[in-house]
Amino acid sequence: MKTFTREQVTPVGMKPVQNGIIIQWQDGSDLEYDFRGLRLACACAACIDENTGQKILRPAMVAMDIEAINIESVGSYAIRVLWSDGHSTGIYPFELLRYVGEARLERLQEQAAK
Amino acid sequence: MSKLPGIQHVIATSSGKGGVGKSTVSINIALGLVQKGFKVGLADVDIYGPSIPTLLGIEDEHPQVLDNVLIPIQKHDLKIMSMGFLVGQDTPAILRGPMITKFIHQFVTGVKWGELDYLILDLPPGTGDAQLSLAQNVPLTGALVVTTPQAISVKVALRGLRMFEKVKIPILGVIENMQGWATPDGPSPFRGGKSLSEKTGVPFLGSIPMDQTVAISGDQGQPLLSAYPDSEAAKCFKQIVNQLVDQVNHKSAPGDLGGFKWNLKSGEGAPKTREEANS
Repeated sequence: MKTFTREQVTPVGMKPVQNGIIIQWQDGSDLEYDFRGLRLACACAACIDENTGQKILRPAMVAMDIEAINIESVGSYAIRVLWSDGHSTGIYPFELLRYVGEARLERLQEQAAK
Repeated sequence: MSKLPGIQHVIATSSGKGGVGKSTVSINIALGLVQKGFKVGLADVDIYGPSIPTLLGIEDEHPQVLDNVLIPIQKHDLKIMSMGFLVGQDTPAILRGPMITKFIHQFVTGVKWGELDYLILDLPPGTGDAQLSLAQNVPLTGALVVTTPQAISVKVALRGLRMFEKVKIPILGVIENMQGWATPDGPSPFRGGKSLSEKTGVPFLGSIPMDQTVAISGDQGQPLLSAYPDSEAAKCFKQIVNQLVDQVNHKSAPGDLGGFKWNLKSGEGAPKTREEANS
């Protein structure tokens, strides 16, 4: 995975938006996350095969209207999300969140360019 | 994960390798802080091989339990809690991962520490359940890494250091213990602590020389800093404590989000936003 600077992986704020959240990072950027995309990015052992790294979780398995019920901090390095489908074992380290947020933004920008 | 009530700073003493004198370092740092006028607690969370009761000569003490909370033992103006008080000294604590997590949690939140400036946590060696569960559940100010001068210890310590980096626990500094052993050709060639610090950019807090007073005071159940305050090693500890206090004051600048538990339906417990933080 890409390496980030400390400022890029240190959150200074979070706020809710329609069907998602925004994470505000210390480097000044605000990245948006839609709930479904975040649920699909879950890297826990139930969603990704520990040995092969292959995804077990398929997009078809996640409802279009999935929502985060609860979000809590894990130490000072990650967050844990309780989802409306009952899933709660995923820990999202800030590095992963930065990566997912940037990838989503790039995808949206590519689509807009077409 | 919000701050522990009444406790200003929680500092974990760690080492990759075992047997580097981590508990001795923890005790004397705790005592050094007491001598500077701070209120200090010492939690021996080395649940497999608790050695703090022996090193402080309080093996036969049994902490009282009041309203389901453990009352720490008081000695040398320190508040002390150890696994050694709960199981017999010669009884091994045979525990699986989930139990370790539970015990550590209890040692931090289930002990009546009262008001403390510093709580020093003496960790077991390695990068296992104990370290991980601390990182996830205890609001640490930072960690200290103890190594001996030899490459083998530095190598394992480096692994421990990387683990703390991964879970975003600030490393307050490297301490080199058992420095010394002159060779026929001159002073000791080993400079492990310094090389670990250079390799990682973590501050080097100092070395403690191989000094008989360290071992003797341990066997007598007396901390070095009160038994031999004028020894070479004791002076080194005092310097290290001064540096540690500087590091703590420097590191505890706010910047990150802190602990939160956010209910998205009600909005209760929401973390702050950039706008709020700036206002």
